[in-house]
Amino acid sequence: MISVGAVAYHPRIVTIWERFREYFAEAGVPTDYVLYSNYERLVDALVGGEVEIAWNTNTAYVAAEERIGGDAQLLGMRDVDAEFRTVIAVRRGELLGDLAELAAKRLALGSRDSGHAAILPLHWVREAGVEPELVRFDTDLGKHGDTGDSEIRVAEAVARGDADAGALGDATWVALRAEGHPAVAELELAWRSPVYYHCNFTALPGFDGAAWSEALLAMSHDDPTLRPAMALEGVKRWLPADKSGYATLTEAMREQGYSA
Amino acid sequence: MTMRRCEAGTLELGAGLEVLVSASIATLRDGDLLDVVVDSRSGSLELPAWARRAGHEVVDERRDGAAYVVTLRPRPAGAPMPGPTLDAPTFPTGELRRLAGPEPREADRGAGLVPLGASPEPSLTHYDWALSSRDRIWTNKLASLADRAARSQWDATRDIPWEAAAGLRADAERGVAQVMTYIAQNEYAAYYVPARYLAHVNPEYIEVLMWLASHVHDEARHVEVFTKRALAGGQRAHALAATELSLQTLLDERDFSAAALLLNVLGEGTFLDLLSFVSHHAPDAATATAARLAHQDERRHVQFGIAHIRHRLAHDPDELQRLVAAVEERAAKLVSLDGLSPVVGESLVLLAARSMQPSDIGDAGRAVRDLLGRMNRNRTRRLRAAGFDRSTAQRLSELHTPNLM
Repeated sequence: MISVGAVAYHPRIVTIWERFREYFAEAGVPTDYVLYSNYERLVDALVGGEVEIAWNTNTAYVAAEERIGGDAQLLGMRDVDAEFRTVIAVRRGELLGDLAELAAKRLALGSRDSGHAAILPLHWVREAGVEPELVRFDTDLGKHGDTGDSEIRVAEAVARGDADAGALGDATWVALRAEGHPAVAELELAWRSPVYYHCNFTALPGFDGAAWSEALLAMSHDDPTLRPAMALEGVKRWLPADKSGYATLTEAMREQGYSA
Repeated sequence: MTMRRCEAGTLELGAGLEVLVSASIATLRDGDLLDVVVDSRSGSLELPAWARRAGHEVVDERRDGAAYVVTLRPRPAGAPMPGPTLDAPTFPTGELRRLAGPEPREADRGAGLVPLGASPEPSLTHYDWALSSRDRIWTNKLASLADRAARSQWDATRDIPWEAAAGLRADAERGVAQVMTYIAQNEYAAYYVPARYLAHVNPEYIEVLMWLASHVHDEARHVEVFTKRALAGGQRAHALAATELSLQTLLDERDFSAAALLLNVLGEGTFLDLLSFVSHHAPDAATATAARLAHQDERRHVQFGIAHIRHRLAHDPDELQRLVAAVEERAAKLVSLDGLSPVVGESLVLLAARSMQPSDIGDAGRAVRDLLGRMNRNRTRRLRAAGFDRSTAQRLSELHTPNLM
C-alpha cells in the first residue's frame, strides 16, 4: 500500500482522494492518503518516510528538494501546473510600463509562503531593480496560497487604494473574473510573469514509483466517474513532471531566506 | 487552414471577452486558427490565461499597431451538427421527430433527463427507466393524440351550466347523484393507472409522456366534474364495494399494454356507451354537458388504447396470448361479481325516467337493457379493431367486468 500525503486546505480534498484511492486500487497500485494541515508537516512526513509520495506545492517541493539533496523524484503534475504564471493587477487606467515603475509604489503580496503570490513576484520585482513598499496578506500560512484567500485580499487592497499593484496567480485571476468578483471589477492586468511550474507529486530517490506514475497519467477526464474528482482537483490531464520549471523559485527562496 | 479574426475591442474577461471568443471559435472549422484582437494590454495578458484553462492553445501573441493580437488554436470540438429547421407558423408534435431524428426502438435505460435532440454531457447521474422499449408503449398516433388533447381541454368550473342542476324531482336527483358518484369512483382508477406509468417512461419517449400527462389531466377533471355534479343537487350516494373490487384488479395490473387493454379499450370503451346514454337521457343540462364533455376525452383515450394494442401486436405477435391471459386472470379474480350492481342499474333507470309513471319507468328500463347490449357489441367491435379475431374478441368482451370499468 502506497501512502500519498496531501494538505487538507479544503474539505473537497477528502472527496478527491476518496475517489483517487478507489481509482488506484482498481489500477492495481493500492494507495491510501494521509492528510496534513500544512505543507511543512507534509515535507517532514516525506523526508521522514511517513509517506512515500507528497502532493506538493512548488514551494513545498523546493523545500523538500533542499532537504533531500537534489535527488527527489517527480511522479507527475497537472496540465495547469506546467504553465503557471503570476500576474500583477492595478486599478483600471493606472498602467505600468514595466516592473521598474513600481519603485515608489505599494505592492500587495499574498501569503509569504505562496510561490505564485509572494515569493516569485518579489523576486521579479527585485530583479527589475526596485524595492517597492510591500503590503502583505499572510493569511492561511502553511497552505502556500492554495486557498486563494490572500489573493482576494490583495485584489481588494488594490481596489481600495491601500496598494497600487498586487500579485496573484493567473488561475486565481481568471477565476475571480469569471465569477464576477467585485474585487477585480475595477482592476486590470499590468504585467505577467514568465511561465513556471506549480504543484507536483514528489517522492524520495529510492522509491519505485513507475507503476503509480503510469496509473496517474492514465486517469481520464472522459471517464464520468473520475471527472468530478478531477474537476475538483483542477486537472484535465496529468502530465509527466520534470525539474525545469522550478529554477527561478529555487533561486528566489534562497535569496529570501525561505526555509521549510 | 484558415486564419480567422475576432475583434474584441475593450472587452474584458468576465465581461464578455470569453463569450465573444467562444462564439467565434464555434464558427471555425477544424484546423482553423483565430486571431483575437484586443485594445488593451490587460486584455492581451488575461486572455491567454483563460484560453489555456478552456483547453485552447495560445500559438502567438504580438502587437499590431496600438492593438494586441492573441492567436488561438481551438481545442477540437465536437460541435453539434445543425439539423433541419421548422418553417411553419405552427409546430405540431409530429414534427419533433423530423427535427430531432427518429425515436429509437430501445432507449438508454440509464439516460438522464435529456431533452430530445440534446447532446448529454458525461454525467454520474443514473436512472433506471422501466419503460425504455419503444414498442411496449408506442403508437404512431401519439403525437396527434397529444395535440388533440391539448386543443380540447375544458373547465369543469365554468363550462357546465351548473344552475341547471338545481330543482330536479327527488327520485331523478337520487338517480343522478348515484350514477355520478359511480362514474367518479371509476374515473379515479382511470386517473391513477396512467399516472403510475408516467413516472417510469424513458424521457426519450416524450410523446408518451405528453400523452399520459394529458390522460391524467383529463381524468382529474372527470373526477372533479362528476363529484361536483353528484353533490350539486344535495343528495349523497354510495361508493360501491363491487366497483372497488373491480378497480383494484385494474390498479394491480403491472404491464403497460395489458393495462391499456383493460383500461383504455375495455373499460373506457364501455364507458363511452355509458356516457352517451347519460348525456342523452339526463334530466338536466348540467349532467348532460358533463357527460358529453367527458365522452369527447374518453374517445381519445379509447383511440389510444386501440392504436397501442395494434402496434404492440404488430411488433410482437406473441403478446396476444399474454394480453388474453391478462383479461382472463382479471375475470377470474372477479368471479364473485354477477352482473351490473343493482344500485347502478336502478339509478340509471331513475336518471332516464321522465316521470315515476309506470310507462316511463318501463321505457327507461328498456333503454338501460339496450345500453348493456350495445356495450357488449361495441366492446367486441373495438377488440376487433385492436387486432383480435372475431371469436377471441367476443370471448374477451364477455369476460369484461360487470362493473363496466
